[in-house]
Amino acid sequence: MKKSWMLGGLLLTSAVLGTAVEVQFYDESLPITLNPLFATTMVDNRAHELYFDRLYYNNPTDNSLTSRLIDESQTKIEDAGKSLRLTIKDGINWHNGKKFTANDICFTIDAMLNVRTPSPIAHYYREHLASCTVEKSNVAKVTFKRVYHNPRERLKFFVLPKSEFSSTAVQPDTEFANQPVGTGPMKGRMGTLAARFEAHTKTSHHSPKIGAMKMSQAQDPAVQISTLRNGAMHGIVSVPPIYRPELQTESEVQLRSYDLRSWWFIALNTTSGPLASKEVRQALNYSLDRSELREKSIGFDKNDKESPCEFISGPFVQSSAYYNHEVPPVEFTDKRKAEALLNAAGLEKNGLWFHEGKPVALRIGMDAKLGKEATDLLTQIANQLSEAGFTTRISKISSDDWNRKAITGQLTKEYDMLIGKWSFGINEDVNDLFQTRSETKFQGRHNIFNYSNPEVDSTLVEYEKARTTDGAKNAYHKLHSQLADDLPYLFLWKLDTKSAWRAEVKDITISPYYYFTDINRWYVSKSK
Amino acid sequence: MKYWWIQPSARALVAVALPLLVPALITALIWSLPGNPAEIICPPSICTGGEELAARWHLDQGPWAFYGHWMSSALQLDFGDSWRVLTGRPVIELMAQTIPNTLILIGFALIPITVGSVLGAFQQPSKRWDSVLVFLSVLPVVVLALLAAAIVELNFAGSGDDGLGYWVRMMAAALTLGIADGALSGSILGNRSMFEQENQQRYVGISILRGESNFSNTLPNLAGALVGQYRSRIVQLLSGAVIVEVIVRVDGFGALLWRGTLMQDFGVVLAAATVFACLSSGLLFFQALVEVLQNLHQRRAPKLTLESTEVVR
Repeated sequence: MKKSWMLGGLLLTSAVLGTAVEVQFYDESLPITLNPLFATTMVDNRAHELYFDRLYYNNPTDNSLTSRLIDESQTKIEDAGKSLRLTIKDGINWHNGKKFTANDICFTIDAMLNVRTPSPIAHYYREHLASCTVEKSNVAKVTFKRVYHNPRERLKFFVLPKSEFSSTAVQPDTEFANQPVGTGPMKGRMGTLAARFEAHTKTSHHSPKIGAMKMSQAQDPAVQISTLRNGAMHGIVSVPPIYRPELQTESEVQLRSYDLRSWWFIALNTTSGPLASKEVRQALNYSLDRSELREKSIGFDKNDKESPCEFISGPFVQSSAYYNHEVPPVEFTDKRKAEALLNAAGLEKNGLWFHEGKPVALRIGMDAKLGKEATDLLTQIANQLSEAGFTTRISKISSDDWNRKAITGQLTKEYDMLIGKWSFGINEDVNDLFQTRSETKFQGRHNIFNYSNPEVDSTLVEYEKARTTDGAKNAYHKLHSQLADDLPYLFLWKLDTKSAWRAEVKDITISPYYYFTDINRWYVSKSK
Repeated sequence: MKYWWIQPSARALVAVALPLLVPALITALIWSLPGNPAEIICPPSICTGGEELAARWHLDQGPWAFYGHWMSSALQLDFGDSWRVLTGRPVIELMAQTIPNTLILIGFALIPITVGSVLGAFQQPSKRWDSVLVFLSVLPVVVLALLAAAIVELNFAGSGDDGLGYWVRMMAAALTLGIADGALSGSILGNRSMFEQENQQRYVGISILRGESNFSNTLPNLAGALVGQYRSRIVQLLSGAVIVEVIVRVDGFGALLWRGTLMQDFGVVLAAATVFACLSSGLLFFQALVEVLQNLHQRRAPKLTLESTEVVR
């Protein structure tokens, strides 16, 4: 209470003096880099959304694809759909005062197309983009490798300033990575303890009402919650589920949904011993009691009407247009079905399940950072599988190893099962997760256990070739049922992410994935 | 005592070797890890250009070339740029930013330790306080640091980087460091018992008979041991500073080393660990010097004449 008065006093003083309040918030960690070509974490993406503008983005209010940089009324499709002629809006300036031009757009594309730019993000765009030419200082022509039904969807990258780089072979370890120059609503730099942001007002396309922001690294969740409640901080980007009930009753704090479209899974090594058999994978699916898992690891309350967690049966969240509602999720253990499937796969039970005379031993790994949201999930899963008759060996995988090895398919020899989470923006393209890995064709880049199924591959091609939204939807519905049957993943659930902000912070719109897309509207008010 | 010079010489040798050995060990570690650090940013299966990055970081020509290049640059105070902690920022800048905070922290933490040492030398406080001192000695640094962090974070989370928040954070961290893991009680009890034992030596009794004070006689003899003890306390504080800075969120050198290690930023780790090694070397040199001076002082002490020994008899 005392702190609230202090904060109120601070706000009042600020109003009288005419200075803006610095909005301070906790994020999971500090950004690793402020150069968007080298983003590896969600924190990076959120920070980049403040410092930079994406060429196109989805409006968080109505989902429409729009741009702050491009005058859409003058955009033209050329070369039978293979090129887009983009005209830049007037009056856009970089943080350093220089004018934003078509050179900057083409520089960004050229940097991504340069194979000497060591960026996985650039690698992704190389699959779609062919070239960019500057036609006038405010007109750029972007050419794609093929015709897309939604070409602008392929242009949602952050734009870099040409003037800040000496070559299109952009390197990650330059000063730009901690003191970037963008066109975004905020400018600033990163420090060792916090990232700071200051409003960028000398431009026509942004007018943030918040003067300054500070992103600090999250502390212990209980300390974060107390700090927020007593007014020493304004916001927390991600509140763990077990702390939400106490904030829900707090009048000075508002809980807001952050739609990350994230779903949790257990990837199965389809090339490893008994897991190569579809029946065994299906049996594992029936051996898990997801209901108990979510109760014990997330603190799910059966009476909670606004459950933060909903089960899924395929690689999409239930609210997605791609989710196939005809495939029901498996909620409880079904021992009878599991045993029948294991017997059918040729396994024998003698206390434990045996495969070719040896007990089935499952090496299970989990992305360590998931433990913050679902405490003990790894142990609970191992317990359930042990109960079902499997020997288990568990270990947590550091975030670095997860990004470097797990999702790039380099842990196939070390693990049989990997527990992880995928997060998506509006574009829920899952092709990279299930397509047969091919480095030359840029396919299956995130295929964890190098799963390969020709039927699934052809469905993914169907999606790629779809020229209409319905075509894409039908392909992914089919993919959903194929994966629910073949089970390269055991699909677990979608877990809501909730943010908490002080009531003084008004007009908060949290956009999916990038979070701060609509920061221009946010403001701090004296009244709660 | 003919070979009194061996110990200080050995210390001086170790002091010279440490700053060369530490980066060599870290270089060996980099090469013993699977893959190379450039692959963290650019995993080969989903990225191209990793070779260029490896070359940029001098990782492409083997450990000797890397070590040689790093050492020659470090001698010119060029520690390169941070690879991941604050990507692109010169490591020397990061060190210049964080070292003062660590020095302030260690400086403040040394206050209770120094006061404790002086009290101990004068046989204070009395032994009935020993139970309190023993209790203080069992408080682990992690527990105290967590307590300090919670208090500071709850009250000064928003203003922790400057002004009052900064100083409260520093004081809490220094107090933690100066008390935890037996730092304070060790200095009191250690000095007290050391001087107590020395006071029982025959020469002290003689000096008292000559009308001199205990302290002026015992101090020169204990100088080497005292400096050694102080050196180990500072080294202990330096290692404790890593824990305290991380938990209490002090923007110090220890926290920088920790972040560098966690993020596999070998640019930062190499420089920070080498600076730690240099600090340790400096302290070793100082101890060796004091030992040399002490021995020289003892050797130039006047020899007792025949008459004076007969008086004593």
